[in-house]
Amino acid sequence: MVKIEFEVNGRQRSGDVESRLTLADYLREVCGLTGTHLGCEHGVCGACTVLLDGEAVRSCLLFAVQAEGSSVTTIEGLSNPGELSHIQEAFRAHHGLQCGFCTPGFIVTAHALLSKNPSPTDEEILDGLSGNLCRCTGYQGIVHAVRSVAVQEPSSSVGEER
Amino acid sequence: MSRFVGQSVQRREDPRFLTGQGTYVDDVQLKGMLHAAFLRSDVARGRLVSVNAERAKAHPGVVAVFLSGDINPGALEMRISSAAGSDMPGPPLRPLADSDVRFVGEPIAVVVAENRYLAEDAVDLLEVEYEPQSPLLDDLSAIAEEGVELVHPELGSNVAATMAVPNNDAKELLQSLPYSVSLELSQQRQTHVPMECRGIVVDWLAADNRIEVYASTQNPHEFRLQTAQLLGLPENSVRIISNDVGGGFGQKVYLSRDEMCIILASRLVQSPIKWTEDRRENLLGSNSARRDDILVSMAADDDGRIQAAGLQHFEECGAFPEMGTGGAGVAVAMYFPGPYRVPIVDWSTTSVWSNTVGRQAYRGPWVAETYARERVVDELATQMGMDPLEFRRRNVIQSEDLPHQHPTGPVLTDVSCSQTLEQAAEIIGYDSFRAEQEEARKSGRYKGLGLSLYVEPSAFGFGALGIEAATVRVLPNGTVNVTLGTGNHGQGLETTMAQVVADELGLDFDDVVVRDGDTDSSPYGAGTIGSRSAVIAANAAVNASQEVRLKVLQIAAEMLEASVDDLTIEDSKVRVVGVPDRGVTIREVARTAHNSPEALPSGLPPGLEATARFQAPPVTYSNACHACLLEVDTTTGIVNIERYVVSEDCGNMINPMVVEGQIAGGVAQGIGGALLENMVYDTDGNPLATSFLDYLLPTAADVPDIEYGHIVTESAVPGGYKGMAEGGAIGAPAAVANGVADALRPFGVKIRDLPLTPSYILGLLEPELLDR
Amino acid sequence: MNEWFSSYDRQASRGLGVEVKPGPFTYYRPESISEISGLLAEIGENAKLLAGGQSLVPMMSMRLVQTENVIDINRVAEIQGIERQENFLRVGAATTQATVESDSVVGEAVPLLTQALPLVGHFQIRNRGTIGGSIAHADAASELPAVALALDAELHIAGSKKDRSLPAEEFFEGLWTTALEADELLTHIDFPIWEGNSGFALEEIAPRSGDFALAGAAVGLKLAEDSTISQAAISLFGVASTPVRAGVAETALRGESPTPEELSDIAKLALEGIEVRTDIHANAAYRRRVSVALVEKALTKALGEARG
Repeated sequence: MVKIEFEVNGRQRSGDVESRLTLADYLREVCGLTGTHLGCEHGVCGACTVLLDGEAVRSCLLFAVQAEGSSVTTIEGLSNPGELSHIQEAFRAHHGLQCGFCTPGFIVTAHALLSKNPSPTDEEILDGLSGNLCRCTGYQGIVHAVRSVAVQEPSSSVGEER
Repeated sequence: MSRFVGQSVQRREDPRFLTGQGTYVDDVQLKGMLHAAFLRSDVARGRLVSVNAERAKAHPGVVAVFLSGDINPGALEMRISSAAGSDMPGPPLRPLADSDVRFVGEPIAVVVAENRYLAEDAVDLLEVEYEPQSPLLDDLSAIAEEGVELVHPELGSNVAATMAVPNNDAKELLQSLPYSVSLELSQQRQTHVPMECRGIVVDWLAADNRIEVYASTQNPHEFRLQTAQLLGLPENSVRIISNDVGGGFGQKVYLSRDEMCIILASRLVQSPIKWTEDRRENLLGSNSARRDDILVSMAADDDGRIQAAGLQHFEECGAFPEMGTGGAGVAVAMYFPGPYRVPIVDWSTTSVWSNTVGRQAYRGPWVAETYARERVVDELATQMGMDPLEFRRRNVIQSEDLPHQHPTGPVLTDVSCSQTLEQAAEIIGYDSFRAEQEEARKSGRYKGLGLSLYVEPSAFGFGALGIEAATVRVLPNGTVNVTLGTGNHGQGLETTMAQVVADELGLDFDDVVVRDGDTDSSPYGAGTIGSRSAVIAANAAVNASQEVRLKVLQIAAEMLEASVDDLTIEDSKVRVVGVPDRGVTIREVARTAHNSPEALPSGLPPGLEATARFQAPPVTYSNACHACLLEVDTTTGIVNIERYVVSEDCGNMINPMVVEGQIAGGVAQGIGGALLENMVYDTDGNPLATSFLDYLLPTAADVPDIEYGHIVTESAVPGGYKGMAEGGAIGAPAAVANGVADALRPFGVKIRDLPLTPSYILGLLEPELLDR
Repeated sequence: MNEWFSSYDRQASRGLGVEVKPGPFTYYRPESISEISGLLAEIGENAKLLAGGQSLVPMMSMRLVQTENVIDINRVAEIQGIERQENFLRVGAATTQATVESDSVVGEAVPLLTQALPLVGHFQIRNRGTIGGSIAHADAASELPAVALALDAELHIAGSKKDRSLPAEEFFEGLWTTALEADELLTHIDFPIWEGNSGFALEEIAPRSGDFALAGAAVGLKLAEDSTISQAAISLFGVASTPVRAGVAETALRGESPTPEELSDIAKLALEGIEVRTDIHANAAYRRRVSVALVEKALTKALGEARG
């Protein structure tokens, strides 16, 4: 067992965990934050995406012990209870979800993308979203939602590609 | 009256999904819950000689290891569906493999431990001995022959089912007419890939002799019945709780054998057991779909009018298919003529067992018919030197042809095949495309446009499948609870059914809450499958609402001293027509109904709720046309889809946004099937694409913005609705394949296989590159 | 492409576990190179180094790799960072791909790296994946080993007994196999900086963006004063069991000032002497065919850039 201490959604967590416990399982089983989902557990589908020190990462590819001293933000930490962030509102408005299973991963990814690059080109949006899989929506509503939140700059080519 | 139906109302269920507050099976935590993991066969066919569980049982944290001798006797009845008779033909079903194995992935043992990590450690410690035999797979016609080795020795043949309606006139015309084409096509095995794998938490409440199951299912009541049958329990001792379900597409319709094993295991331990299928299990052990070999032919006269068609269809149904003896062969034949006037058809279909995972219905299970037909139409048009659009125009069923009966049985009414063809062609700019294509060819660029026109049968009205139930309850404060026998898993039923009920009752959308999934509180129904919700569930909700509405009016009439005929309900208020300030709120009516029985009209019992059902006609047809504009890079074989158009007609739409979402999801799956997805087996029967690194799903970068056109031809069903949700997946593979064929027309290649990978396409252009 | 993920030992007397949870291990988190070396001396035979984990962790989860010990090297400052020296760019092996991708010094000094990185997986992968991790993992279809090979990078290795360095061409030995011994750690990679009129390009084909390449070419060309090619590097990935230099084509380029037709002919020499592989995604013939097209495309771009 290894001692760990790190922040999850602004709250300090500490305890003893097996070194092989993934960060995803730690969040789900120990913290009870089940919004982070397991879609493949081999780092491809992105359903387990969380922010580690502000960067989007696949929590199934991290051991909880590796998050020592860091700050983890899960989907639950992106909005206050009963409220929706800008991006979440956009997903809803554009029907960017159906069964909801991939949704937390996409929301976290979109947050990460747009905080780093508030005015992505269309190509950057598609590229940035291509690391998350969805089987229900055909990506239409997801892409429209992110486009709608992307800040339009005069020289931006959002919408130009299509 | 229609405030909400027809509007793209934002979905009520979204906030919990958006904020990670959904409850899927793996999110369920019960006190003392244990975790299960399976040991699965890695031999496709052979004798299972022994399983040694000594070391596994001794591993710390392991509570039990169950083999077939422990689990199987507890299965009193295993059936492919609750309605299936026990004499239904099919392979011998067994929870765990006992003396032999018949596909790689077949479950052999269940380990139950304190957590999933430990369970997997223990699985690693199990020792299995096999006597492998050579598996039967791949060459379907060879496996189907007499006298070969058998997948199921008990059955005497590898042919699971076969049916043929030969037509000598058709055969004759296909031979003799100058314009006649025959195509050999093959569709690869694909799998559903819901983003949430299957999973189950079973809580055996011994003191009550009850079992509660948290399930990821499309069909809670069916799950309940099958569980009851399996255990020999009365149904009312079984509760299925299906909260949020992360997709299904047909993979989660019936109780699967893995789930049966866990249910049986739960009776042998004192604690609840959770099993969450992991993605590798899902890819190789959950039933998959689509493997078809097709020989399709079509002949036309000199004017390009179809005179005859032929379809010889083989499908691989694996070892333990969902529907017992096969897949969708008969449906493929029946729907094959699709949107065209095809006078005669010579057809046969054969389902063949193999030592692979079983076949399961997957969004548009009979898609082979559209794929085969739309491809042969394009090739026949090409042979005649006619544009594929023009050929379709000459053969498509027109409104004045309705009702139209196909030689294969189906009678089409209320379809608008011709209108969708024209609309799709217009939106995609078909006429100007040919000039564009010509220009591009001059600079060595190969663009193509593929059409796919089809008719989608939906909302089948057979047996329980054709019936749905809704309970509408008005609470004392005037808000409404609705429960349905459906199994919502992304279709937005919490929203669309609320739209319907709110309109019927004159209420605000926010005052109606819709739930399904808990068999204790929802009426018996047939789940969410086969594109049935708009037609059947919505009408059940309407019927129940109408009963409630009548009672509301009767009570209000008493309260207002008016006649029922003079009343109207709007904005949650019952008013006298023409006298706007005379009215009572629904809340006041509800209060009266529940709390003041003395104020009710005489003879009217207290309370304000109703349960009603709707029984669907045998089938309801929607239709659509897909148009796909793409470019093939002939130096790399990469296909780039530039535009994708769907012109569809599903009658009246309850929520257009939801309709478009369903189309889009299906189209993406069809694109995946056309270009990327392939569940390959090697010659030893090992599935090779057992992770997302090898089973490739389309991503946001692979699906273009889809453009929609809507035509509305009401169905005969109340509300004028039609089911449409499988259509995207039915139409897309042919649209993409025809697009590629169109792009590569100058090269005269024969496209046989799917998926159209870069390697395959380049091999078509340069045959020396191909292995075969 | 990743035979490991789609293969399993069928001779084994155990069935198919289809695991996704890793087996148990002891976890170490050293803070210096010497600490790592000390650990490797002791347990190197039974340990795995954990850098980004984007390749290692999935294999551990699927139990294709089982290890008693995991040495997490992500907190070792000595093996992180980007430093421009006179003739080369020194990149700490544990520097994340994302850090290198967005670094403007890299963009200026080693543009081939900046071109390659956006093609490596997806941005979430690059937030954790490291330069050294990718190179040490040595997947035949990944971009970074090919870039290291193209640029004749020098790979610095710390061992429990001694340190050494190797040129890239001696580092890659086979599929997922490098010259690293059990007690060794890749600490830094020196990427030579090409001065003068140079041009770089990286072209690849993958089934979807971010996937491992079916075939790819990383190219660098430098021009002499008289505008002929003085230095040519063509590194192919995805085609063989390691990245490979297209030596014959490179020789044909040196001293030349090729026309487009001549470039096309030289590209056809790219696969000379190279054994090309087949897997479930593409056969050898396909890989040969498209590699030629990719090399031609990359050479054209690089030459165009070099000529300014």
